[in-house]
Amino acid sequence: MHNLSGLARAAAIASQPEARVSELRQESGRPIIGYLCCFAPPEIISAAGAIPYRITGRPGEPTAEADAYLEPYGCSYVRNVFTQALKGRLDFLDGLVISHSCDLVQRLYGIWTYYHPFPYSRLFNVPHQVTPWAERFFKRELGFFKESLEQFTGQAVTAEKLREEIDLANRNRALIRELYQLRLKNPPLIKGSEMLSLLLAGGWLPAEEFNTLLNEALEEVEARSPEGTPRPRILVWGSLLDNIAFYRMIEEAGGEVAADDTCIGFRLFEKDIPATGDPDEGLKEHYFVNFQCPRTDRGPGTGRFDYLLERAREYNVDGVISYIISFCDPHKFDYPDLRDYLKEADFPMLLIDDNYSFTPAGTIQTRLQAFIELLAR
Amino acid sequence: MSASEMRRAKRHLETTRKMKDLLPRFFMRTFERRFSNEPLAWCMVGVPPELLKAFDLLWEWPENFGTLCASRQVAPQFIKTAEGDGYSPELCTYVTNTLGYCKLWTESGEPPAESPMPGGMGNPTMLLGSGFICEPRYKWFQTVATRFVDCPVYSSDPLAPPWDVDPHDPRIANHYKELLREDLHGQVEFLERHTGRKLDPGRLREILTLSHKALAYWRDTLALRQAIPCPMGSTDYFSAIIPQLYMVGEEEAVDFYREFYHEVKDRVDRKIGIVEEEKYRLIWFGLPPWFNLGFFNYLESLGAVFAIESTYNVGDWFEVEINDPLEAIVERTWQRAVKMHDYGAEAMPELCNPAVFGGFVGSRMLEEVVEQYHLDGAVMHLTRSCRAVSFGEVHTKNRLAEMGVPSLIFESDMADPRLWSDAQIKTRVHAFIETLAGRDPGGSQG
Ligand code: SF4
Ligand code: SF4
Repeated sequence: MHNLSGLARAAAIASQPEARVSELRQESGRPIIGYLCCFAPPEIISAAGAIPYRITGRPGEPTAEADAYLEPYGCSYVRNVFTQALKGRLDFLDGLVISHSCDLVQRLYGIWTYYHPFPYSRLFNVPHQVTPWAERFFKRELGFFKESLEQFTGQAVTAEKLREEIDLANRNRALIRELYQLRLKNPPLIKGSEMLSLLLAGGWLPAEEFNTLLNEALEEVEARSPEGTPRPRILVWGSLLDNIAFYRMIEEAGGEVAADDTCIGFRLFEKDIPATGDPDEGLKEHYFVNFQCPRTDRGPGTGRFDYLLERAREYNVDGVISYIISFCDPHKFDYPDLRDYLKEADFPMLLIDDNYSFTPAGTIQTRLQAFIELLAR
Repeated sequence: MSASEMRRAKRHLETTRKMKDLLPRFFMRTFERRFSNEPLAWCMVGVPPELLKAFDLLWEWPENFGTLCASRQVAPQFIKTAEGDGYSPELCTYVTNTLGYCKLWTESGEPPAESPMPGGMGNPTMLLGSGFICEPRYKWFQTVATRFVDCPVYSSDPLAPPWDVDPHDPRIANHYKELLREDLHGQVEFLERHTGRKLDPGRLREILTLSHKALAYWRDTLALRQAIPCPMGSTDYFSAIIPQLYMVGEEEAVDFYREFYHEVKDRVDRKIGIVEEEKYRLIWFGLPPWFNLGFFNYLESLGAVFAIESTYNVGDWFEVEINDPLEAIVERTWQRAVKMHDYGAEAMPELCNPAVFGGFVGSRMLEEVVEQYHLDGAVMHLTRSCRAVSFGEVHTKNRLAEMGVPSLIFESDMADPRLWSDAQIKTRVHAFIETLAGRDPGGSQG
């Protein structure tokens, strides 16, 4: 894998996401800390001298093993991830960080750490309302998070170290935004599935290496010249997508994923972590105040979707595909409001409600095709 | 879905049967005020009713309205209406019940004819949501205010520490209490702004005193159910929660719970059970199937009684200093969280929720109640549309199994009868009873 670069390397990493962090652990002895969701800043994990690793599932794999611990009704992604743990596939982790993002993820924390304790584990608690007191809570929570990591790694998280990590990660963000700019072209210079595979690799690599990877990819993509005729441009909105399979299906159905609003997507990279005197202030702004996930209550009214409409316009998309994992309350509640809002703005929307398996593939493919054909007209 | 023979529930106590007279009288008193344009709040469990009372506010509980619609068999109408709007059948059916109701109501301008209460839930002038227990309870009002009623919303947002963080650490306690306190003050400020009234701490203190008096009777009554035979069953339990929801802080509510206590106490003294021969004592987990509360009587007909339930505890009673009444509410919420935490609550970290003392899943509290209530088994209702409450049942089952206590988990819903099948459920219940019988032929009385 070492002789590959850029997009090819990103694609290769997906076949063994933990390879690089495990190697680093061997070389440096730094512990690997797995995390779910993006409220607990991975920059803090790095600043404490550990290696952050974004835990992903394996869509479509049976999750029967989880039945002995979890109810059948519940987010199939959560069940899937826990199944990976039960199978021992996450045994390379030294620690686990779960944010209180949604109900299911928060509750998984207790079950997971009860049946499968780690040398280090932490639930990062997050309020649902954005109020001055919730912001203060979030900042205190950052402090406790730091402290717990310091105790585990024995390394102090100084403001300076943290600022360095934030700078590194912000460089990732800047490069990602440059790549997104190339999606404004018609047809986009980079495919949605390629973009996602880069972003996924970013969750499995240290920020510095990710920067290298992004630079290589950027060079490759910039060198491309627009090919073929433009195809319907799609924005994908919805629950977590940690596998490129779905974007591939859209591409095969004749669409172009030009923009997104999902967890491992633009939500994370749209803005930099603001440089603030107290780095925690910037982290709070980025990971709490500005992070657009429907689990955070931004009050009534459709104004809460304005950012998405702007994005749809900026990327000049023809329609929106919404991917929602079954039993995902935060997204399912927002769907009808968003659908109506987009409809008023003349953006058609297709809902794919899936149990994190992209099956039955034939049916999904047919629906995607029909929708994309409609957009092409 | 075919009509279930378990629809009708039989209550065992005089006191709860008498509620039939008490409640309509109470509702009529407030009903008239609804038509004089007084502020009306729709609110969620987690909003301290004492506070609403102190503002002399009219209020309605859409959650409870959901249970009522379910037991009157009209919820499916509303739920289907919401589904037609794109709301997934997986979403909490209390919510979709409200959304369907709102759609019919706003479309016709009249409370829907299906509404089990005359006048429906009234026209809210504010929505008081909460993040206690689950996400649906703030997404719910966000949706209502986005689609149907243009009115201000305040959603309270309490959090509690996870099971592996020590709430006795003063820094942790402050961290959480600060949030609870500021959130409550935010709520007060909101209420002052939208009612144009100032909070009168003296009034709140009086209300809290009465409310805590009622809760003390409630707590003592529940403890009486440790007696063999068990003096009170689930059908009484699930109806006895209503006065505390609507009549909190009223002398009448205290009278109700006092009478309730004495009736149960008298039954204990005279060894009156709820079934002729009490063979098995059970614990109930989860939300009840409101459309078939007779399910509990069905189990009773097999000699199985529920001595304790994990949900809809209207509130634990805590000894708190009520001189500063707002601080008392903060302290009450926090104490509840600490208590659950001390028992261990790995599967349900939303521990400060007042309605689900079943936050004890997997914890040492299980061991305690199994012993104190002389339990032989557990029945758990896995509600498809409410994962918030049914989460942890498998874990609880595992923990009970370690104690040698068998459990039955069956799947259905609290308000949507489409997932219910009499035949299937009966088969499973009978198999479970056989397990209990095989395990201890003498039952719990042996
Ligand atoms: S998909 Fe939805 S329910 Fe599942 S983890 Fe994400 S937000 Fe939670
Ligand atoms: S706890 Fe369950 S029933 Fe109650 S509002 Fe939440 S999801 Fe609905």
